[in-house]
Amino acid sequence: MPRGSEALRRSGRFLRLGALLAGIAVALSFPSFVPSPYELTVGIAILNYAVLSTSWNFVGGFTGYISLGHGAFAGLGAYGTGLLVTKAELPSFAALFAAAALVAVLAVPVGYAALRVRGASFVIVSIALVLILLLVFQSWASFTGGSRGLVVPRPFPGMLRAEHHEVFYFLFLALLAVALLAWWIIDRSRFGMGLKAIREDEDKAQSLGTPTYTYKLVVFVVSATFTALAGGLYGLWFGDLDPVFQFSILSGSYMVLMALLGGVRHLYGPLLGAVIVGYGLEYSKVEYGDTPLHLVFAGLLLGVVVMFMPDGVIPAVTGLVARVFRTGETSIREVTAAELRAEREADAPDTPSERRTDDQPDGKREVRQ
Amino acid sequence: MPSASLVFQSIVLGVLLGGLYALLAAGLTLYFGVMRVVMIAHSAFLILAAYLAWYAHRELGVDPLLTLLVTVPLFFAVGVAMQRLLLTRLRPATLTMMSVLLTFSIALVIEGLLGYAFSGTQRRIRLGYSSASLEFFGARIAVVKLIAFGMAAAALLGLYLLMKRSRFGQALRATIQHREAAQLLGIDTDRIAGYGFGLGLATAAVGGTALALDTTIYPSLHWHWIGPLMAIIVVGGLGSVPGAAIAAMALGMTQSLLQLELSTTWAQTVFYVALFATLALRPQGLFGGRLAQRF
Amino acid sequence: MSAEESQEGLATVGLTKAFGGVTALDAATVSFQHGKVNALIGPNGSGKTTFFNCVTGMIRPDSGRATYRGRDITGKPPHRIARAGIGRSFQLCRVFPRMTVLDNLLVGARPGNLAAQLAGARKREEVERARGWLTRMGIEHLENAEARNLSWGQQKLLELAGVLMSDPDLILLDEPAGGVNPALIDRICDLVRELNAEGRTFLIVEHNMDMVMSLSDHVVVFDRGRPIAEGPPSVIQSDERVLGAYLGV
Repeated sequence: MPRGSEALRRSGRFLRLGALLAGIAVALSFPSFVPSPYELTVGIAILNYAVLSTSWNFVGGFTGYISLGHGAFAGLGAYGTGLLVTKAELPSFAALFAAAALVAVLAVPVGYAALRVRGASFVIVSIALVLILLLVFQSWASFTGGSRGLVVPRPFPGMLRAEHHEVFYFLFLALLAVALLAWWIIDRSRFGMGLKAIREDEDKAQSLGTPTYTYKLVVFVVSATFTALAGGLYGLWFGDLDPVFQFSILSGSYMVLMALLGGVRHLYGPLLGAVIVGYGLEYSKVEYGDTPLHLVFAGLLLGVVVMFMPDGVIPAVTGLVARVFRTGETSIREVTAAELRAEREADAPDTPSERRTDDQPDGKREVRQ
Repeated sequence: MPSASLVFQSIVLGVLLGGLYALLAAGLTLYFGVMRVVMIAHSAFLILAAYLAWYAHRELGVDPLLTLLVTVPLFFAVGVAMQRLLLTRLRPATLTMMSVLLTFSIALVIEGLLGYAFSGTQRRIRLGYSSASLEFFGARIAVVKLIAFGMAAAALLGLYLLMKRSRFGQALRATIQHREAAQLLGIDTDRIAGYGFGLGLATAAVGGTALALDTTIYPSLHWHWIGPLMAIIVVGGLGSVPGAAIAAMALGMTQSLLQLELSTTWAQTVFYVALFATLALRPQGLFGGRLAQRF
Repeated sequence: MSAEESQEGLATVGLTKAFGGVTALDAATVSFQHGKVNALIGPNGSGKTTFFNCVTGMIRPDSGRATYRGRDITGKPPHRIARAGIGRSFQLCRVFPRMTVLDNLLVGARPGNLAAQLAGARKREEVERARGWLTRMGIEHLENAEARNLSWGQQKLLELAGVLMSDPDLILLDEPAGGVNPALIDRICDLVRELNAEGRTFLIVEHNMDMVMSLSDHVVVFDRGRPIAEGPPSVIQSDERVLGAYLGV
């Protein structure tokens, strides 16, 4: 019934457009109906999380490579901006973009080392990056201020606090819009198609002519740049940087948690996850203060998401909706090939995504590029 | 220029530290071998074992070494349970990435619970022999460091004998090298993989007790261990136990020697420098066999 | 490129690859006929798939050279080799499981420049071309289904359509008949003949001897990592060395 499904698709598009406009309206009017500047700072924190996890999702969502160390790029963006303002006396926003550009340049060699081999090494490099930067920024106190921290001068000195928050709320909102737009453009592009093919089956993608290594490196740099912009903007807003918070594994893991919770395959997945987790974080900070139980809850939530809904909330909910409304789409499954595949992989957990070959004692391919 | 005896002392200390690194890296290599899992929570369990040793000493007054009788079997069982109940349920297609996240989340939970139970305060065991030291060839070496090294060396030797001499070890090696072939030989590879995981976690129990003898511990200490350990297994070549042991010794010694000239934190960067250099120049690691080539 | 050169297809000289102590390819020197249906057969472990992986860049050979139409492709990365006009299917069939059937094909389309990279992936002419191949495979009705929900046979056809989308001159098929019912085998054979008649060269690794003998113009037999016989099917069928290799005499 092609006509029915066409109508359904059109009404779906209207629904989505309506939701988008409503979301924009809420986001734009939020500062004008918050009771106090405190709520505005919560909004800013959530927006910051949303930009960070959307930026993370350029790599995580498209290619399936999980980086636990994106906190490093945020920290570098923040410190880069702060140091360029204080040491090089650049104007605040020029410093922000210059710092992001520097991070983009740095991301090239990091990506070069991390992406040459697949999977596990990438995660290891991403964690190592945070740990090494923490060491450097703590130890090199004469330049970075070390554990005493770095004070970043405010970009608008004459402004009242409430006004200051409001300006940054809109700056973060604009950055989020740009990040989402960039993700959307890539998602529907030929480049994005190649990236998603890498996520599904990297060898196969390469055998069809996709330059997988270049693709991964490019999207890694894009991701790092957006993360650095978010970090730098945070530095300008917050005004006080401490290496322990800037280069923490935890901030990177929040990005992963938010994106995964919302759904890495969806444009708004990380944003949704940021709203849920970010709100939870800010709420519990007020209610319970800074306790180690934060870690426990973050860990448990991450574990539950990984075990039970690795595709996130959005597919889980849309799946539920689809089941309720039974769109009448007939199943095309004749022989369950997916099950066949799963069975095969269960038989050979040794080589999950590999060709199993009869005449090749070693199914591994040489490291290349 | 540091004196010759100081250099010699650093070398000895480096070897002692390298022994502990080697044991822990062997554990990480085991997980990777049987499941292709990068076990981020390894060092969190290490700190957990250290806390258990410290707690038992404080509350019961027992020697930390005695806690091994409890922690080793306990950690073994936890390792088996983790593999059987959690990791085997992940989708095979995304196992490597998702298992990283899962073990990462376990590390967060352990760190959080330790902080909740014992606060963030730094803890240290005071023993009768804590301050004793031996002198040989002009180098002063604390007795506790020797004991810690002895434990690590004994555990490594035990692991080696188990892997090489026992039937179980044979099955484990077969499972690591070629899972399908092992299955064809009638080996229950799932069970063996579970035991391999348990064995890996048992190394964390031994290492943690050794660590508790002469180190100040606090809940977030595990981040200082996981970085160097992961650097070691990459440099050694993922999946290669001898490679990990050699890399552990070499890097432990380099770190110890660098501390003569640099601060402790700067000296630690040697691990990350080695990690990046390895990945950029020889991604399969120095001793990487076939396992390392893709991961 | 002279006309003479362009008649040469895929060829290797002394191609060698060892895994640990096992030599999978042992100085294999072999060439395949351009414009024909070539088959590569041999007992299990004779190096056929390693050969495929070496000439498509998935594995770097230890020594030796591979050329395609006179151009050196030894050790080139897989995407370069794909762009040189060599497409391949995988043993046990590999598709992108969580992408739609149509998107599976669009991965194979080639963007020209940066702007094309960032333009929408569903360019009209590419989509039309993809639909053309799907129709030819008889799976056009599944266009919007996720590939993982297809049956085994449908996935095989989808993989072939995906390879064709990148418009290769030479198509390497690794066990196209593996795990496929007889009716579909016939269908695949027909497709290979048609596509060959349209000017595409084939190199097929296959264990199904009926298929090999009826389909191919030229057969190369591998044993222990090197060719031991080659020729038209009728000659190969009666070659003693081939029987020896298969029966272990």
